[in-house]
Amino acid sequence: MSVAAASELSLTRIRSARWSSALAGLFALLIVAATAEIVLDGALDHSALIPKSPEIAGWLQGIGERLSYRVFLIAILVFMGAYAGVLALARGISKRWAIVLVGALHAIVFVGPILLSTDVFSYIAYARMGVEHGINPYMHGPVSIVGDPVYRYVGRDWKHVATAYGPLYTLFSYPLAPLGLKGALWGMKLEALLASVGTLALTWRCARARDLDPVPALLAVGANPLYIIYGLGGAHNDLIMLMAMMAAVSLTLAGRDAPAAATVVAGALVKATVAALLPFMIIARRRLAPILGALAALVLGALIGYAAFGIHGIDVVSALNRDAAFVSTDSFATEIAHLFGKPGVFPVDHDLLKGALVLIVLHLLWRTWRGYDWVAASGWALLAIAVTSTWLLAWYILWPLPLAVITRDRRLLAATLAVQVLFIAHQTSPFFAPVS
Amino acid sequence: MMSRVRLIETTLLVLLGLLLAAATVNDVVRQTHVNQRLIADLRSWRTYTGHDYHNLSIEQELYGENSGREVICGNTGPGVPKARTQLCLAIWGPVVDGRRAVHGGWYLPAKVEDVRADRYACFGLAAQGMCPP
Repeated sequence: MSVAAASELSLTRIRSARWSSALAGLFALLIVAATAEIVLDGALDHSALIPKSPEIAGWLQGIGERLSYRVFLIAILVFMGAYAGVLALARGISKRWAIVLVGALHAIVFVGPILLSTDVFSYIAYARMGVEHGINPYMHGPVSIVGDPVYRYVGRDWKHVATAYGPLYTLFSYPLAPLGLKGALWGMKLEALLASVGTLALTWRCARARDLDPVPALLAVGANPLYIIYGLGGAHNDLIMLMAMMAAVSLTLAGRDAPAAATVVAGALVKATVAALLPFMIIARRRLAPILGALAALVLGALIGYAAFGIHGIDVVSALNRDAAFVSTDSFATEIAHLFGKPGVFPVDHDLLKGALVLIVLHLLWRTWRGYDWVAASGWALLAIAVTSTWLLAWYILWPLPLAVITRDRRLLAATLAVQVLFIAHQTSPFFAPVS
Repeated sequence: MMSRVRLIETTLLVLLGLLLAAATVNDVVRQTHVNQRLIADLRSWRTYTGHDYHNLSIEQELYGENSGREVICGNTGPGVPKARTQLCLAIWGPVVDGRRAVHGGWYLPAKVEDVRADRYACFGLAAQGMCPP
């Protein structure tokens, strides 16, 4: 190549890099703007998208307008589009700017109101039941504390439902109960923020340990619209489960199999879903250590759960069976039923879906036995649980995401993001015919 | 062997993706039609009562979610939702001129949910058996 041609090529590369940087900056600004729009508008009460809540973001009032469904949809679609752009250009984004973007999104959501879900009030209600009222949250629903200030904020569907979360999570939440309603709410928000930061830090660490570029991995999780708006915005305890999941993967990558398996069990004592990792981890490692680690943690967890909550505190199976019977309009099962002209999901469909899930997991176990990446297999299993569930919520589609960004099988990331896009697309009908 | 497995997996994933995409689009279209029906119901309530109120509640489950029959409740005087005596109308049938037919209804005292025990002055065919005796 001649000197002139080489210098022309390098000039083109510099121009292209500048354009990429400018475009990435624009996408990042759009993401921040969309998040700020949702948070600032949400800070003003009286939006159907913002659950009834004690005033914790009052100081943001007056900046935005009431959050309408239309504005929310536009913001989330802009967020999604800009996120796709950021992911496409992620390799050109510096480590520092990636951290600044993700940090800004976390800060904006943290100072704002609770978004889109009343779950956090259920968490607080269960904690207050145990600490303030001496009622076992594994035996009774929040309806048993009608006079408590948190009761009026608990979602209508959950007032009679005992907690389905693990005993470790319930014990985590107990220290927040005496802080009062606002104090507990801030505590829950802080817990979610720290869990998210922990998840992202561990995702970064795992990506590096697997010789993957950590910047795209960080951006794919930390700037994901569902992760930020639904997961962090709702202060969901799924983030704590994700942190345990990524800690377990990180420990496995460091060759510490027993603590890794014990961490999965600890995560499952927060939210049972993460237990899906365990068989893949055990099959992939083919050692006794993860089995022993899991058993030790299980015995310890069961003892703590039993001591704190009695037999109901460790009866995970009945809680899971109860939740598996729920049906949400956003579930793919319901959508497919409608596609085939059925009014909704029938009991036989639950059995068919469970059968399909078992087949998928068996196939993944066989693939893992034959050498397939156990982290990817775990991610597929979590995605399959979400897709075959008749009770699908936005934050369930976050489960496989941190695993998807640290595997070389890019199909998992593509499938996870495709499911997220379909979930958002399903929210758009009020856009075409707004009911008011 | 494994490349063949991967090919089969990818093919199944694409087919599943297409099924989920078709189901999602179908559901969005279906929900849009439901929303258009609800818009007609709200318009019907406003025309029937002569009140241009916007804080109306929609009950889709009383007659069954897939029955196409809705109950719309709203205040009979100005105020925040449920602040006044409420009038509930049972509405169904085809959309004609942007509205649907009112087949009956009942009243509710202020500040209560629509439960049978609190209903009174039921009228029309749709309200038969809806009020306490």
